[in-house]
Amino acid sequence: MPNIFSSIENIRFNIFELHKIQDILNSEYYQDHDEESLDMVLSSVMDVAEKDMYPVFREMDEKPAYYEDGKVIIHPAVDKMLKIATDNGWLGSHFDYDDGGSRVPMMLSGAASYIMACANNNVGGYIGLTAGAANLIITFGTQELKDLYVPKMLSGDWTGTMALTEPQAGSSLSDITTKAIPQEDGSYKIVGQKIFISGGDGPNVDNIIHLTLARIEGAPAGTKGISLFVVPKNRISADGSLEDNDVITAGDFQKMGQKGYSTVHLSYGEKNNCHGWMVGVENRGLAHMFQMMNGARLDVGLTAAGVATAAYYHSLQYAKERPQGRKLSKDGTKDVSQQQTTIINHPDVRRMLLLQKSVIEGAFSLITECYKLEDQERILEGEAKEEAHLLLELLTPMAKTYPAEMGQVAITNGLQIYGGYGFCTEFPLQQYYRDIRIMSLYEGTTGIQSLDLLGRKVTMQNGRAMQILTQRISETMAASASYDDLKPYAAKLQAKLEMVQEVMTYLLPFAMKGDYEKYLADASIFMQMASNIVIAWQWLKMGVAAKEILLTKSKVGLASSFYESKIETMKYYYKYELPKVDACKEILTNPEDVTLSKSAEANILFS
Amino acid sequence: MNSLVCISKTPETTAKISFNDNNSQFDTEGVQFIMNPYDEWYALVRALEAKEQHGGEVTVINVGPASNDVVIRKALAIGADKAVRVDTEANDAFQVASEIANYAKTGNFDLIYLGKETIDYNGAELGAMIAELLDIAYISFASKMEVDGNVAKIERDIEGGIEVVEVQTPFVISAAKGLAEQRIPNMRGIMMAKRKPLEVVPSSSVQAKVSVKEYKLPEMKSGVKLVDPDNMDELVRLLSEEAKVI
Repeated sequence: MPNIFSSIENIRFNIFELHKIQDILNSEYYQDHDEESLDMVLSSVMDVAEKDMYPVFREMDEKPAYYEDGKVIIHPAVDKMLKIATDNGWLGSHFDYDDGGSRVPMMLSGAASYIMACANNNVGGYIGLTAGAANLIITFGTQELKDLYVPKMLSGDWTGTMALTEPQAGSSLSDITTKAIPQEDGSYKIVGQKIFISGGDGPNVDNIIHLTLARIEGAPAGTKGISLFVVPKNRISADGSLEDNDVITAGDFQKMGQKGYSTVHLSYGEKNNCHGWMVGVENRGLAHMFQMMNGARLDVGLTAAGVATAAYYHSLQYAKERPQGRKLSKDGTKDVSQQQTTIINHPDVRRMLLLQKSVIEGAFSLITECYKLEDQERILEGEAKEEAHLLLELLTPMAKTYPAEMGQVAITNGLQIYGGYGFCTEFPLQQYYRDIRIMSLYEGTTGIQSLDLLGRKVTMQNGRAMQILTQRISETMAASASYDDLKPYAAKLQAKLEMVQEVMTYLLPFAMKGDYEKYLADASIFMQMASNIVIAWQWLKMGVAAKEILLTKSKVGLASSFYESKIETMKYYYKYELPKVDACKEILTNPEDVTLSKSAEANILFS
Repeated sequence: MNSLVCISKTPETTAKISFNDNNSQFDTEGVQFIMNPYDEWYALVRALEAKEQHGGEVTVINVGPASNDVVIRKALAIGADKAVRVDTEANDAFQVASEIANYAKTGNFDLIYLGKETIDYNGAELGAMIAELLDIAYISFASKMEVDGNVAKIERDIEGGIEVVEVQTPFVISAAKGLAEQRIPNMRGIMMAKRKPLEVVPSSSVQAKVSVKEYKLPEMKSGVKLVDPDNMDELVRLLSEEAKVI
């Protein structure tokens, strides 16, 4: 029986046929891998996802992580998965050989994480954060720090976290107050509070390594005075043994979803005995941390896509099995003597299923595109490398936000397909509905991502990244011109691209004259518009790839119906989703100020 | 202890099965193939365990075309030391058994492993044929094995229970569930697999004795009937008169 949470066929299509990982494998850096061996990795991950992860998905919700006697207790499946991930070399598989990795392309590593997210989104975070924290030490840490920490993290003996948020400093990291006091031995005493630390306690490991942002005494105010530190739960003594490092789990957060994934409050230095070691350059901590944050943002987008994917396959199966109502006859009546039809035959149910399919497959394609750019950034040189970097910078906030926001819409529609059963805890859709809600909150809220997109990414290097994106979209439109039935969709996409130009022509003058509040007031609407177009680009790409394969039969691994379904879903997207760009444009170019404080004080707006 | 493990390529368990050429050929369009699970999960892994306990070498053998190399590489990734593919399209079990037996004669194998059956044709014929062709013992449906020197104590699944037998090497063993626990190939194994030897040997030109004339799919099962929970009488009537299970 096929699994009910994902499709290995769709993953293979994305990696091998659509985004053509072979382009990456042709490089010297990745020459030790080929498609066959990478497919074997995917199959192995899927095996584990089916046997060890999905079976405990519901149970981890019903028996959440909890705080007791100063520590957090989590489901034992996490320890088992950590062992499987490390025994099989998955944790940090994308690292270089010298750093304990296997030089696996990010495209593949991302696909493996996606499978895990589809199967059970409570587990992957422990693995992903440990890899991210280790990567920060590898990139910016001294050799001594690398030798001390990275091998133990990759072996799964220790796990890792990122510790940024404080009670008074969430989205506004410039306000963090955790202190780092220099010591004679080169370490720093750390004192402060960190909250919402994912995976901050719980795994049955000897040590947890918190990559922590703190402010060295006397450092400048704001983000330019933040440094990055390795702060282990247990510090390493001269003889190699571990001793308590005065990092206390002060409590946990009970949440509406992702209940198996611990979220804790850490208190550093209550006994003035917490030591940290600086990673990278003093006062450049936030810039260093962005490496991990950018990776984590793609991870969140990927996880959101995974959660929505699992919800889609559940609702699809339900729609195929649930008999309800009858097809209308030509005179508009129903013949109640006939057997009921399954609900997948009702157009409105099909619309909801296609909505889900277009969102999840579009989102996964966009994220795979981003991982390919990350791989290209590593292997390319000169201008091509710079282009890959800029485009990745531009796409990352969208790759985080679109799956997180539209994934919620997709799951709502999946739940709707279940009717009243969708609202019942006996059925899984309500869990997916709750689990995905965090995705638009952590690792930068949708508001923060939107400000990043419009405020920084669109304008960086005088709009160079936007030019590269436009060029790439134009290349896809040119490729689609080979197929008459795809041409109308390319034309629609071109028209929406021109709308973005109109919006920027309207907005940019506000930025140029220093009215940034006006420029950024509707950044979230701009995010919706830009993401919608970028996903439309992905769907046109999928349409072109499917057409090529159907006509050439260059691959026989998947059935023709798989590729035909891609083209049909593309049509859905262009009919039902892409037109929403028009509404965004109307809002963004409407001169009326409604939310700006200068036009309406809060006490007038909300009296 | 040197082992030869016979591996087959079978359609993935969820593949949609259809036929062409007047229902005489299996239609492979859109079908994903895997290593036969009984060969992979139990036969191969038990051979690897034996190697880990007693030393020696594990060779896997497949009879088929180059497209089978994917599953052979997986066996190498899981831990086999080397592989052999007899380059021919076999048409029946006798042809496959003869090719394997002919190859086995060229080596010094203490044990020849294979799954208790393939999940596509479910013939369960190969083990007995190989043993006969090599004139050695055959132990079928083994669910547990302990090896001490050149003597193996084996538990066999039989109807309603277990039979315990003892046998001297060399012998052929068909692996059932329980003989070992599935292993997945790790990153190191996958990367090493490409560097391990995969020898392609020509067919010994054995002819098949059986040819397939036609395949027939089972009749479609009737649709699900939903019975109102308040109408237990109707449920009992259906179970009695239609399903005939009570």
